Amino acid sequence: MVHAVDGVTLDIHEGETLGLVGETGSGKSVTAKSLLRLVPTPPGVYAGGEVSFRPRNSGEAVDLLRIPDQQLRGIRGNRIAMIFQDPAKALNPALSVKQQLAEVFAEHRSSELFRDAKIVAGPPGTRPLLRRAAHRHSTFFERRLLDLPPFRAMEKRLERELDERIASALSATRIPNPAKVMNSYPHELSGGMKQRVMIAQALACDPDLLIADEPTTALDVTIQARILDLIQDLQEQHHAAVLYISHDLSLVKRISDRVSVMYAGKLVETATTQQLFDDPLHPYTRALLAAVPTAEQARGELAAIEGTVPELVDPEPSCRFHSRCPHAGPICAAREPQLLTRKQQHRAACFLYDDPQDLGCPVDLMPQSQVSETQ
Amino acid sequence: MARTAEVGGVIRPVDGRLRALATRTRRLSEIARESLRNPTTLIGGVIVVLFLLMALFAPLLIEPNTPNAYQMPRDFSSVNVPPGTDGHVLGTTPTGGDVLYGIVWGARTSLRLSIIVVAITVVIGVAVGSFAGFLGGKWDEVLMRLVDVFLSVPELIFALAIAAVLGPAFGNIILALAVVFWVKYARIIRGQIIHVKQNEYVDAARVMGDKRWRIFLKDVLPNSITPVVVQATVDMGHVVLIGATLSFIGLAEAGLAEWGNLVSEGQSGIIAGRWWVATFAGAMVFLWSLAFNLLGDGLRDVLDPKSERR
Amino acid sequence: MQVREYIARRLLTLPILMLGVSILVFGLSRVGGSPIGIYIEHEMTPAEVAKIEERYGLDESLPQQYIAWLGGVVRGDLGWSGVSAAPVSSIILPKLMATMELAMLAALIAVVLGVSMGTFGGARKNKLGDHLTRVVAISGASIPIFWFGLLLLIVFYLGFGWAPLGRADPSIYARIGHPTGLYTVDSLLNLDFGAFTDALWHLALPAITMGYGSTAIIARMMRSSLVEELGEDYVDAARAKGLPERLVIRRHARRNALMPTMTVIGLSWGFLLQGTVVVELIFNWPGLGRWMTDAVLQGDQATIMSYVLITSIIFLAVNLVVDVAYAYLDRRVVLGD
Repeated sequence: MVHAVDGVTLDIHEGETLGLVGETGSGKSVTAKSLLRLVPTPPGVYAGGEVSFRPRNSGEAVDLLRIPDQQLRGIRGNRIAMIFQDPAKALNPALSVKQQLAEVFAEHRSSELFRDAKIVAGPPGTRPLLRRAAHRHSTFFERRLLDLPPFRAMEKRLERELDERIASALSATRIPNPAKVMNSYPHELSGGMKQRVMIAQALACDPDLLIADEPTTALDVTIQARILDLIQDLQEQHHAAVLYISHDLSLVKRISDRVSVMYAGKLVETATTQQLFDDPLHPYTRALLAAVPTAEQARGELAAIEGTVPELVDPEPSCRFHSRCPHAGPICAAREPQLLTRKQQHRAACFLYDDPQDLGCPVDLMPQSQVSETQ
Repeated sequence: MARTAEVGGVIRPVDGRLRALATRTRRLSEIARESLRNPTTLIGGVIVVLFLLMALFAPLLIEPNTPNAYQMPRDFSSVNVPPGTDGHVLGTTPTGGDVLYGIVWGARTSLRLSIIVVAITVVIGVAVGSFAGFLGGKWDEVLMRLVDVFLSVPELIFALAIAAVLGPAFGNIILALAVVFWVKYARIIRGQIIHVKQNEYVDAARVMGDKRWRIFLKDVLPNSITPVVVQATVDMGHVVLIGATLSFIGLAEAGLAEWGNLVSEGQSGIIAGRWWVATFAGAMVFLWSLAFNLLGDGLRDVLDPKSERR
Repeated sequence: MQVREYIARRLLTLPILMLGVSILVFGLSRVGGSPIGIYIEHEMTPAEVAKIEERYGLDESLPQQYIAWLGGVVRGDLGWSGVSAAPVSSIILPKLMATMELAMLAALIAVVLGVSMGTFGGARKNKLGDHLTRVVAISGASIPIFWFGLLLLIVFYLGFGWAPLGRADPSIYARIGHPTGLYTVDSLLNLDFGAFTDALWHLALPAITMGYGSTAIIARMMRSSLVEELGEDYVDAARAKGLPERLVIRRHARRNALMPTMTVIGLSWGFLLQGTVVVELIFNWPGLGRWMTDAVLQGDQATIMSYVLITSIIFLAVNLVVDVAYAYLDRRVVLGD
């Protein structure tokens, strides 16, 4: 059994951006997908834990891992939206931009569409038919029926409403000429445009939480900055919380209010952005920061962390970084450190900051903090 | 221990290609073991082994007919006997042929047919594919168009036409199938050569004075063995399926102990309620073909899960 | 590359392949000895044989003979069919229609059944429904058509006493006009529903027999490509939008999985066409396949040649149509993604 993600606790508040950093394979994406229960089961297993989500306007917190599918679908794409790493893969190549955006509105905004399209009531007994049409769930025969006179006009109005919303969602992401983009297929758009479409789709329903899984990694460097700005601007407008996942520390530093660091499926440190970059506590975070190339560094001298990420198959209780950690003591290989508050708003999972007496552990088995002091 | 020789200052193992070949073959047996873990592949494997045993020990199972064991013995005293009768466990045909005899000796016929055809087609296919791949240019173009033309005629119809032109005989069925089935091997080998040619290390080998046949032995053959083995496994079944269809239509000698032939003999009796001849004999063709398909499928899954789509 | 360019290139290969097939077919007819073998009787003297050979142009060189033959084919002269005792061109159309009616129904069955079974199995990977799909798929690829057809006959005729052989009830056949040669269509045009049912009854068993193998091929392809598509990011993205699973499969995954399946549908036509030979023999269907088996047993070369040529052309044409449709539908193919 692979423990891809283990005991990760994240909390994100309204309007806040939390950066989630880690190397490739550290479990960032699985964490993101788990929040929306997108990890397929089987083969995946949600062994425990909860994802507690409190929508802005209703106030009732729900556990996303336990609510019925129907309720979860009402939250996906509506209250919580997601942007994927590679927009070229996350957009369906066979559907036009309009078709893909329409799905979001049809799924979550059908009653508003109804109202705005002034569909009060059709002939008796046709309301389910029209609702299915607004939901875009119509069957083949229903679609033929909708082409007939009394429904045709209603469907036209519905369609017009939909077009309007899609166009305004697209123009919000600064897409020039949304009417043209709407009718394009993904392969006709550039990478940056595709990601804008993804963002428009994600923000269509004004979500409370936006999960952005490496949204700029697959893009050209020149476009990365613009997309990043866009996300930041839109976040301010919509006042949404953002979970920004990246392996790129400098990006995360720029965009996040707080940062969590993941290593091998576990959280090792959480702090405000300033604290984390000024005063990292966990040896892994320090190593990660040291590995970021800086302007002063001599060319060709890229710092790297020795060793590799351990296998996550049936892991032993231990600090997962111990084999690569310069401070590691015997206890690090034998017990698992807890993610505890070490300073204000600053939590880290490392024995360096534990009192040996609290742990009931002889001092000589503890990690050697002196090494860290001299750094 | 690998012997080494100095070639222009570069030390390289002389028998590297042989070792590569040996590792490949060893890997193949590992692959076989691994794929047998899949229950459907295992079923296929077991049926194949049973058929092979039946074919190899046919003379011990049932006394061979004289002078030609592949010719059905005729017992004109018991014609159209239903299954379960003394001496004719699976019944007899309208001409007094024992169905059990046809099934057991038919396995031998099928084994003969499939081994000969697969052996011939692998050799032809590898030869044509290598010519096209190595000579390249015009030769490649012409040979590959030829392959395309061969693929433009549905295989059963092609084989049927050839066998028909040559006249009804088991040997002609073998010939017809051989003409039709080599194409896939040529494609596999040529594709592999084109692939290897594009890799730089072959250029390096050529600079060091390697001959084409060395490249062939060292780079092309080891990489092609697995797809060829999979294709050959599937073809072992497919050849019998098409061959039986040809003899069902009537292109084998009358009275040949062959499953398709037997079905053809039993066909006319069906309307009169004599179901057994066609049912039993046809089931053998199905099982044979199914078994090799399952086996080939299992091998392919283990070797290259992505290629399932081709 | 643009779609149009791709299609143009694809169209250009067609005549080349057809020419190749014609050479192959001609070569075939000259491998098996004299093409007029069945017209030569034992008591003929060599001089008489030579005279006949001269009449058919057999004393000329092979390339000359080929060109003469090809010229005839292009003009619609496919030679004299010994088994039908008539020129091929005069008798081929009703046979072709009979076979096409059967093949089209079989193809319809195969596509509808294959696609839905593949979707069903692929969406339930490694569950019971999936295993059932795989069993059908793998057995369909291994089952001898002649055996499957006879089994159906045994079950339906011996079991239920019902198995209409041939193409139609003669009395019903006589009472309707035949403008298209497709009996189902003809009976509908005549507004004769009794004849329509009769035509369908006669079609049912042979069409099922023929369609099974193709169903298997299509289902297998559909299953594996659906499984592959379901692993794509856009499927997760569709789920993340809040779409119900039914729509995620139907609108998103299935649509893309159908693309690679389409090429297999084209290739499975080869399977269908070769199936006609056996199916028409078993169910006594008066189509091209039956004609071919008769010719095969009598060594009637003109008929065999015509049959191989016609079948290959249909096969190539269907594959061309499929490829072009594929290029139009899936822009990724030709736009190099």
